[in-house]
Amino acid sequence: MALRRDGDRTTVLLDDDERSMLIDLAEQFRSVLAADADPDLRRLYPTAYADDAERDTEYAELVHDDLLQTRLDAIERLVESATESSIDDEQLAAWMQVLNGLRLLLGTRLDVSEEDQFDPEAPDAPSRALIAWLGFLLEEAVGSAAAGL
Amino acid sequence: MSPTPVEVDDPKTDREHNEEKATDRPWIVLVWNDPINLMSYVSFVFQKVFGYSREKADRLMLDVHHKGRAVVSGGTREKAEMDVFRLHEHGLWATLQQGD
Repeated sequence: MALRRDGDRTTVLLDDDERSMLIDLAEQFRSVLAADADPDLRRLYPTAYADDAERDTEYAELVHDDLLQTRLDAIERLVESATESSIDDEQLAAWMQVLNGLRLLLGTRLDVSEEDQFDPEAPDAPSRALIAWLGFLLEEAVGSAAAGL
Repeated sequence: MSPTPVEVDDPKTDREHNEEKATDRPWIVLVWNDPINLMSYVSFVFQKVFGYSREKADRLMLDVHHKGRAVVSGGTREKAEMDVFRLHEHGLWATLQQGD
């Protein structure tokens, strides 16, 4: 178990190495978001109007900076709280947003599909293991957040 | 003496009326299946963003997973666009379109 609901807070049961890794990944995510040039970010800014290019461009222009800022804010909250023994629900929501965003970026980069089987010998095995670990943390975060709804 | 009012078919008024009706047609918000998002997370986002019960959120999530997409909300274009924005904030793949 990595995250456990305790009353109105979530206890963080990660060791120091895991916390460092999480902070490191969040900071890499921040760099990629801030540079705003990586095509693998596309899943973080999806199409809204699938059959109306003009409206979709308007939408994208309207929301792009807000979507970026809300993610940068979430990264800040995660980095601030990643060494704490417990986090409040606002921090938990930020953790979820970062964990899911990182999975979308890495999953797009690796072209993950639902049928994929994990092959420990494959050259991208370390990245896939990382996505799986982020998925485990997100699953735990959802469990705690759902218990607090 | 005033003329008797006569009912006249006015094509212009009729057309305007139809256009108004087209604008009033409700918009729907669709969420599409993607291979990365976790099922539990998608259901949680439906509960959080729309206030749906766990049962309703799970049912919609399973529709997305098995049928490739599901209608999760709807209303005016402004409301539908705000819903789509909130789903995008949470990393879900959502679009809006005018319903039939």
